[in-house]
Amino acid sequence: MKKTGPVVLGFIVGMLMLIQYFTPNAWVEARYNNVLDWKQVVFGITLILGVISLFLYHWRKIERKEKGWGYSVITVGGLIFMIAVAIIFTPERGPYPWMFDYVQAPMQSTMFALLAFYVASASYRAFRARGFHAALLLTAGVIVMMGRVPLGEQMGLHHISSWILDYPNLAAKRGIMIGVGLGMTATAIKIILGIERTYLGKGA
Amino acid sequence: MKDMLGAPAGAEGKGRFYERLINVDRRVIFIFVALAVALPLLFPLNIPVGSSREANAYFGEMERLASGDEIIFSFDYEPDTMAELDPMSLATLRHAFRKDLKVVALTNYAGGPGIAERILGQTAAEYDKAYGEDYVFLGYNPDYSATMLRMGESIKATFPTDHYHTPTDQIPLLTDIDRYADIELLVTVTASALAEYWVIWAGGNYGQRIITGNTAIQAVLIYPYFQTGQLAGFLGGLKGAAEYEKLISIDGAGVRGMDAQSIAHLLIVLFVILGNIGFLIQKRAAAGGEAMEGR
Repeated sequence: MKKTGPVVLGFIVGMLMLIQYFTPNAWVEARYNNVLDWKQVVFGITLILGVISLFLYHWRKIERKEKGWGYSVITVGGLIFMIAVAIIFTPERGPYPWMFDYVQAPMQSTMFALLAFYVASASYRAFRARGFHAALLLTAGVIVMMGRVPLGEQMGLHHISSWILDYPNLAAKRGIMIGVGLGMTATAIKIILGIERTYLGKGA
Repeated sequence: MKDMLGAPAGAEGKGRFYERLINVDRRVIFIFVALAVALPLLFPLNIPVGSSREANAYFGEMERLASGDEIIFSFDYEPDTMAELDPMSLATLRHAFRKDLKVVALTNYAGGPGIAERILGQTAAEYDKAYGEDYVFLGYNPDYSATMLRMGESIKATFPTDHYHTPTDQIPLLTDIDRYADIELLVTVTASALAEYWVIWAGGNYGQRIITGNTAIQAVLIYPYFQTGQLAGFLGGLKGAAEYEKLISIDGAGVRGMDAQSIAHLLIVLFVILGNIGFLIQKRAAAGGEAMEGR
């Protein structure tokens, strides 16, 4: 029953979601809406589970004084502080939006901005014309990089850049998308039919 | 500085020209990148900004809407990509409010409400728009897939209250709006694959017209949807934001950032060329050495 129950449930819900595409039946539509509502509820609960799991992971690290436990103190402290101020002052006013605007936003932006430096350094070291294909990739990369900024437009590179994005890039991306789509469809059918059971965990 | 430009200490052939070219210290690159970004911001070059087909299409979709039409605006990003995406959000909402469009805003990211509140507040104040009548912020809803699908059936059921806990059935703006069929255009500004998901679920299932603003790296993945017409238009990266700002004649951070981006890109290309010149000389020298040994 432990294995059969989830497989049967997966089959029923999977078939319902599949059938609702093809029928305007009111009952089916109502069940479809029920599934969507429940999905949001389940997702919300997984967020809570995630927070608890994160807390316990770092709490254990602090208790055992594992390597880098100081960072865990900051993580747990930040977690408790943000939850507390959101409950006490609400997320719309008080320290919560202030912390978002003046701590989280600058920190996240700074982390992302550092990419510019690392991308420059990595490009310089990695983009080497070691063979014909590498040279081709390098040339395309340089043209697109310059064609996507006003300076490159002034050089007339935006026409070549657009061609690269519109044809070779689009053809490759579409091929990948079709492959991924077929793979997803096959996996969905296998889950609905109970052939694919890895989502049930080990030994399923 | 001399040490920084040379090969690592102890490396064989430290003084060789080509080895210096392929071993520029990363700190030197960092300094050049910092200068390439900072100097054009301090001393603008005013390089003219053109407009791409994609940005023209994005602008055209907004422009064809009539006063009083409703749009959904989804802030699908967090603070890490604010520098690239905020200019798009600001420009789009300025355009929307200037045209007296009604805006139903939401976010699919937990870190999105802070961004949405700031940008909505700023643009609404600029155009003297009233909350609840001209725009509304529905807030964050967990699970983007269910949110996108459920909104096609009922926006009020998906968001029983707005971000400020007001029941959505009591908000004047939403009196006649409850599903995609009541919405003229959906705009998503995103740093992830959410534009593709909006296309699949809101566009594919419900026929919603969609335009999107994306980070430059994400924009590359968007082309297939634009070519098929599943996306009616899109903005790619800060350049896309700058193009759109030019089209609506309101210069912002997008246009201001273009000189810096141009010079930074040029610098990276120059470093790549420099590295390759060193690499090719090294290859040639190695081949010459082997030929000498063969004699």
